[in-house]
Amino acid sequence: MLDTLETLCCLAGVTGGEDEVRDYILERVMPHADEVRTDSMGNLLVFKKGAVTPSRRIMLCAHMDEVGLIVTSITDEGYLRFAQAGGIDRRVLMGKRVSVGPDRLPGVIGVKAMHLTTAEQRKSLPEMKQMFIDIGAADRREAEKLAAPGDLVSFDENVVRFGDGMIKAKAIDDRTGCAVMVELLEGELPCDCWFAFTVQEEVGTRGATVAARSIQPEVALVLEGTTAADIPAAVGPDQVCRVGGGVVIPFMDRGTIYNRELWKTLTRLADENAIPWQTKTMIAGGTDGSAIQRSGTGAAVAAVSVAVRNIHSPASVAKISECEDQKKLAELFLREMAK
Amino acid sequence: MELTELTMTLSCLAGPAGFEGPVGEYLASYLSPFADEVRTDVMGNVIAVKRCGKPGARTVMLDAHMDEIGFVVTGVEKGFLSIDTLGGVDLRMLPAKEVMVLTVPPLFGVIDTMPPHVLTEADKSKAIEKKNLRIDVGLTQEEAVSRVPIGTPVVYAAACGELGPDKIWGKALDDRACAAIILKAFEALSARELKVDLCCLVSTQEEVGMRGAAVAAAAVGPEEAIVVDVTHGRTPDGPEAPCECGRGAAIGVGPNMNPAMARRLKALAAEKNIPFQVEVIPGGRSGTNAAAIQIAREGVATALISLPLKYMHTPVEVVSRKDMQAVQALIEAYVEGLEG
Repeated sequence: MLDTLETLCCLAGVTGGEDEVRDYILERVMPHADEVRTDSMGNLLVFKKGAVTPSRRIMLCAHMDEVGLIVTSITDEGYLRFAQAGGIDRRVLMGKRVSVGPDRLPGVIGVKAMHLTTAEQRKSLPEMKQMFIDIGAADRREAEKLAAPGDLVSFDENVVRFGDGMIKAKAIDDRTGCAVMVELLEGELPCDCWFAFTVQEEVGTRGATVAARSIQPEVALVLEGTTAADIPAAVGPDQVCRVGGGVVIPFMDRGTIYNRELWKTLTRLADENAIPWQTKTMIAGGTDGSAIQRSGTGAAVAAVSVAVRNIHSPASVAKISECEDQKKLAELFLREMAK
Repeated sequence: MELTELTMTLSCLAGPAGFEGPVGEYLASYLSPFADEVRTDVMGNVIAVKRCGKPGARTVMLDAHMDEIGFVVTGVEKGFLSIDTLGGVDLRMLPAKEVMVLTVPPLFGVIDTMPPHVLTEADKSKAIEKKNLRIDVGLTQEEAVSRVPIGTPVVYAAACGELGPDKIWGKALDDRACAAIILKAFEALSARELKVDLCCLVSTQEEVGMRGAAVAAAAVGPEEAIVVDVTHGRTPDGPEAPCECGRGAAIGVGPNMNPAMARRLKALAAEKNIPFQVEVIPGGRSGTNAAAIQIAREGVATALISLPLKYMHTPVEVVSRKDMQAVQALIEAYVEGLEG
């Protein structure tokens, strides 16, 4: 599971450009699937038969895309201007290494040295439109040979295991869900199941919207990474959830009120199998569930997420055992659906 | 090891101001095959000397500093480390930065961020305040307390690479790129016939006020010194800066620099087709070790050659390889041409 997760986090899949991630997943799951298709948006939809055919059509869902940047223009001096692709907190951008375009051209997000700023400037952040990527080009002509507007920009691929069973990587949201689904597909399933590896979750659950229409699930389990604010500066409910506090089984977020029966089933399964779990203490964030629940004639939706610190940044942090528990609980859920 | 590789190697070593030990050890062992004598003084300065063998020869000293900016652990709270800064750290860029906590063995960490949903709109545009800085080392309070003593230094995680056809990026290129340059210049000059004794000083604690260079210059007592440090290269968001990455070695001119030395450097660069630019520094103190060395002992004739660098004091400092070669060539030309 950890190897799969690390490999997936290293792949570039900024929202709208998920090809690398899809190609890798396709290669892994193809030998184990009964039906595989890629739709017009790039969603990868996989069906695998299990021991039984359940009374309801089941779908697991994880999104392949990650937040990143998109090049908007090249300056005369050869720097790249950019906009965000997905929700980025611009506080995490300055002084970071990035990869630009399909060939992963190295770049850095520079900012004028603090020595050259006023005391006032040092206290506030430049707007994103004032920031730029330096790709080492001497001028526009040289830069245009290396990059182009529309190129997607992803964060540093470096993965680090550290601390007490922690992992640092970009895109843990939501390669953890992708890793769980890949590994489930490689094993025997207790029941027939559809797996939707979706695109463009980070720009409004757009991939899941069409994937769900195409699969028409009656029950869906979304496997996600969710924001954790368990840092000393946040107290009480503001922490939302804690890394190390167990897998997150949300009852509600800003896009979905999760199906209560499924929520009870998941929490019961976790308790019965000694899987530590928590729920969110703040109604924040959203998942593909919001699109899936209202697709077609509606679906019962639940989610199991991994708590992730610094979630939309190059240095997101999660607990490895909780990614593994996400897989365990998803498997138990399918067993339950097989009954 | 060639210049770029040596620069990247030095850049990835950890040695914030006051905690330069491992960097100093590396430098001393690199210099020893080329020197008659290498010593490390009480401040951690590494001083290598190559004598020309002539009695009463003058001493010329090269200087670059080995320290980098960083942090120091001031406490542990809920498993997270609170920190203060060592040298000039830009607080605006700290959220989600990767760091190495320099325990033995070192611990990886990430500076924590408050997720946007908990922040007010105004806070989203503000730099983090020093008192709110915390490092996530992925440990419980008990583990963190037992493994990370108060006072442990911290640096940005090592990473560097090439950028386009001519540039490289990394942390601590201020001033390890220049340390690499004077190492390579010393190495080359040690094999040549010189009329002066050559001293290579790689100094400590520049980032907290040129403390190392001040005492080393007093100990060495050179007749002339060439200080090699970085200067700001122009960036699109910066003010009009006199220097630009890729335009060559920057020769400092102003009260902090000996005018005859500066004139000779400019003439040599022109004569030998070494790309150069002139950096006018109007004040008495240049913000480099030249300020300390010029007034060491009874005074030292001091020149400043700077390497233009973009995004100073960030983990993604950028320099040009051509500029580095120009600085090295200029140093060699200067020292080689000195009469005894």
